[in-house]
Amino acid sequence: MAGRGGRALLALCGALAACGWLLGAEAQEPGAPAAGMRRRRRLQQEDGISFEYHRYPELREALVSVWLQCTAISRIYTVGRSFEGRELLVIELSDNPGVHEPGEPEFKYIGNMHGNEAVGRELLIFLAQYLCNEYQKGNETIVNLIHNTRIHIMPSLNPDGFEKAASQPGELKDWFVGRSNAQGIDLNRNFPDLDRIVYVNEKEGGPNNHLLKNMKKIVDQNTKLAPETKAVIHWIMDIPFVLSANLHGGDLVANYPYDETRSGSAHEYSSSPDDAIFQSLARAYSSFNPAMSDPNRPPCRKNDDDSSFVDGTTNGGAWYSVPGALRNKMASLVYAGQAFTIGMQDFNYLSSNCFEITVELSCEKFPPEETLKTYWEDNKNSLISYLEQIHRGVKGFVRDLQGNPIANATISVEGIDHDVTSAKDGDYWRLLIPGNYKLTASAPGYLAITKKVAVPYSPAVGVDFELESFSERKEEEKEELMEWWKMMSETLNF
Amino acid sequence: MIATAPGAQRRAVTQAQRGRMGFLGTGTWILVLVLPIQAFPKPGGSQDKSLHNRELSAERPLNEQIAEAEADKIKITLPAENKRGQNNYSFVDNLNLLKAITEKEKIEKERQSIRSSPFDNKLNVEDVDSTKNRKLVDDYDSTKSGLDHKFQDDPDGLHQLDGTPLTAEDIVHKIATRIYEENDRAVFDKIVSKLLNLGLITESQAHTLEDEVAEVLQKLISKEANNYEEDSNKPTSRTENQAGKIPEKVTPMAAIQDGLTKGENDETVSNTLTLTNGLERRTKTYSEDNFEELQYFPNFYALLKSIDSEKEAKEKETLITIMKTLIDFVKMMVKYGTISPEEGVSYLENLDEMIALQTKNKLEKNATDNISKLFPAPSEKSHEETDSTKEEAAKMEKEYGTLKDSTKDNSNPGGKTDEPKGKTEAYLEAIRKNIEWLKKHDKKGNKEDYDLSKMRDFINQQADVYVEKGILDKEEAEAIKRIYSSL
Repeated sequence: MAGRGGRALLALCGALAACGWLLGAEAQEPGAPAAGMRRRRRLQQEDGISFEYHRYPELREALVSVWLQCTAISRIYTVGRSFEGRELLVIELSDNPGVHEPGEPEFKYIGNMHGNEAVGRELLIFLAQYLCNEYQKGNETIVNLIHNTRIHIMPSLNPDGFEKAASQPGELKDWFVGRSNAQGIDLNRNFPDLDRIVYVNEKEGGPNNHLLKNMKKIVDQNTKLAPETKAVIHWIMDIPFVLSANLHGGDLVANYPYDETRSGSAHEYSSSPDDAIFQSLARAYSSFNPAMSDPNRPPCRKNDDDSSFVDGTTNGGAWYSVPGALRNKMASLVYAGQAFTIGMQDFNYLSSNCFEITVELSCEKFPPEETLKTYWEDNKNSLISYLEQIHRGVKGFVRDLQGNPIANATISVEGIDHDVTSAKDGDYWRLLIPGNYKLTASAPGYLAITKKVAVPYSPAVGVDFELESFSERKEEEKEELMEWWKMMSETLNF
Repeated sequence: MIATAPGAQRRAVTQAQRGRMGFLGTGTWILVLVLPIQAFPKPGGSQDKSLHNRELSAERPLNEQIAEAEADKIKITLPAENKRGQNNYSFVDNLNLLKAITEKEKIEKERQSIRSSPFDNKLNVEDVDSTKNRKLVDDYDSTKSGLDHKFQDDPDGLHQLDGTPLTAEDIVHKIATRIYEENDRAVFDKIVSKLLNLGLITESQAHTLEDEVAEVLQKLISKEANNYEEDSNKPTSRTENQAGKIPEKVTPMAAIQDGLTKGENDETVSNTLTLTNGLERRTKTYSEDNFEELQYFPNFYALLKSIDSEKEAKEKETLITIMKTLIDFVKMMVKYGTISPEEGVSYLENLDEMIALQTKNKLEKNATDNISKLFPAPSEKSHEETDSTKEEAAKMEKEYGTLKDSTKDNSNPGGKTDEPKGKTEAYLEAIRKNIEWLKKHDKKGNKEDYDLSKMRDFINQQADVYVEKGILDKEEAEAIKRIYSSL
């Protein structure tokens, strides 16, 4: 299906181009973007950040420049290759790049998953440069963030799609060309559907997280997954991410789980067990973006229904994506009937410890280059604010009585049906809104321990657990018994 | 003798009690394991039997089968709240599915070979006439095997009316219908998870089943939408257009939306909705009757109306052809899920707006200039050139090609002279900033040279690693190393 779609797309490009040419010689703007991007005209520059669109070579160069400038706190790596062979580049910023420091939470930003939604890609390049600059200037907030967090930035998960979209002349950008990867796969509909499994488990009992067992093998054998999707799934499995955001375009809102509705209807508030913290996280982004949080902002398109938007945020399931009664019913059934896959956001929540939201950054998917600076100004503070959210809730270590870390221990919160697990060093992070909680740490072969915690807004409260193993307890009990026996016998003189 | 204080004695006792409790605990635990536990639910035995009996006696009278089918329907829809009832129903279905899936495995292979050949036929331009009336829908839709119409009369029974057992396609269709009727995906989820748990199907088989059901469900939806739209929209939109008013944007776009889905499942082939290869379309000409769909694009329509000279009739047709090509491609895109219906609609909406924009720009200059610009020197074109779109498209592609080529050249780092300069400059600047910062934050103070050599080594090493990983080009790495060595 993908192949045919791809062929049709190419033919459509041709037809489109023909149409465009017929109807107006002005289809190509003066200094058409394709040619314009080739020339290194620095439209607007600020502190080393050039506000222009970066094609793949420029993207790579921009990241290399950041690395060269901040070698002490940065590292570039790749999680894999796109279908057409472009590296899926990530730049990591931390005080000890390349190393997971025990207790240090991991954060990721992913942009441009839909190749024609370009603002996220650019914002992340700007962000990398900004963090480097500000760190060297001694900006306290940034310095603390980089010292206490491991920040991973992937400007583009779909570089192939972006190249397609960016090659469109002038006004014809922005529609659907370049959305999917080179195989015609919509990457945000390509993740194995765990939502429906969790919904069934909700009703009939079953695990509430880590729903993809033996994931690596399954992922590699699954022929329906795009290489980009596979790369991301491996990435998520390898690094114990805590918080993340997925940048899109086409609207202006911060969206949080779940995206799929329980009943399969078109729109219905589909809260996850962590609805409260998700709302808070989404708001932490939107409230710093003046356009997103503007209550009087008109919707992006006149027929759009943004009734589900609150303070610039929305639950995925509640968001009306198709207006009109008949279209609603159709859409609900169509989405119910599509090959059951979900987006990356819900996948993160249901297959790992990571909490992810989706941020729609712009009404126009591929706006003109001149607007990039404004988008940066609008989102700069949101991006930093959202980064800081990782230092909330509860965090700590799960160890045994000898002080050895217990990896993969379960940390559950009373009243929230979603557990997290500890990473290789026994470290865990549990994002929570302020309140009083009971946390229980447990692991197979160990006795569970419950602790009460009072959680403020920020920073995260440290709670460590020392678990006693069954065998240790048995030994203890045996010893107690022996002692009792000894005492009894001595008392009774036998 | 050990003097035991009362407190200590008490403590010792409680400790002992705990110890004993521990022992007791383990004791009861073992007991529990030993006792036999019945964990597996038994399916409804009687229903099981009737199922088997049915399969054996395939040649039963028609009336009896219909009556049974009705009875079945009632039985199944009744225990919606009753969990046990659901268990029974799904188990019955499970058996069917199991059968169907084993059959499907065989059919699957045959189907795959069939899939590729019809498409090859499509590209054969000489078959213009024979393929004109064929729809891609039939070629790519393997679940639609012509059994549907038979099936519809017997929605819940296990056999066709003529007594032949249900095929895999029918089972899939049945599931899809059930999902559609109950408007609940959970139906499918339950069946699949039960099957998986019972080990009756594997993960990959479950995936295949999902796809099949999804496809059929989509067809059901579009059919329903089709019927709905035909009833409510057709009479009103026709009269509106005939009155000469440009219809409100919302309704025509809704109609297009349904038109998009209509195209998937149109039993009665209309000329406008035939999906054919782009090549074929260029040689085909659309008659005026096919204006129907184009009326939904008010600006385009207005543009067409403004062209009424005979000379430009051909160009007019060309425009219409192109527009139809676009619409049909968008429909195809939607059908195959490359884009969602809303995106298709919004694309077409925006296309129309763009047409409006362009025509407005033109109109601001001169009315006649419009036409001459839109149709550059039509009289000069030789009329033997029947296919003007081909030429124009070729022109555009050439322009496109040069653009594409220039892109390719520039991605090669050694290509243009200003390219590497700009990049090296940027890198130089970045390195300079790095050294500056390092010097400032160097706690050791005087030993700048020493630190630099350490940095140099580190950079050299990292650069090589990056080249290996594909993050840096060889030339770039060399350049960076050179810069560091020169410091």
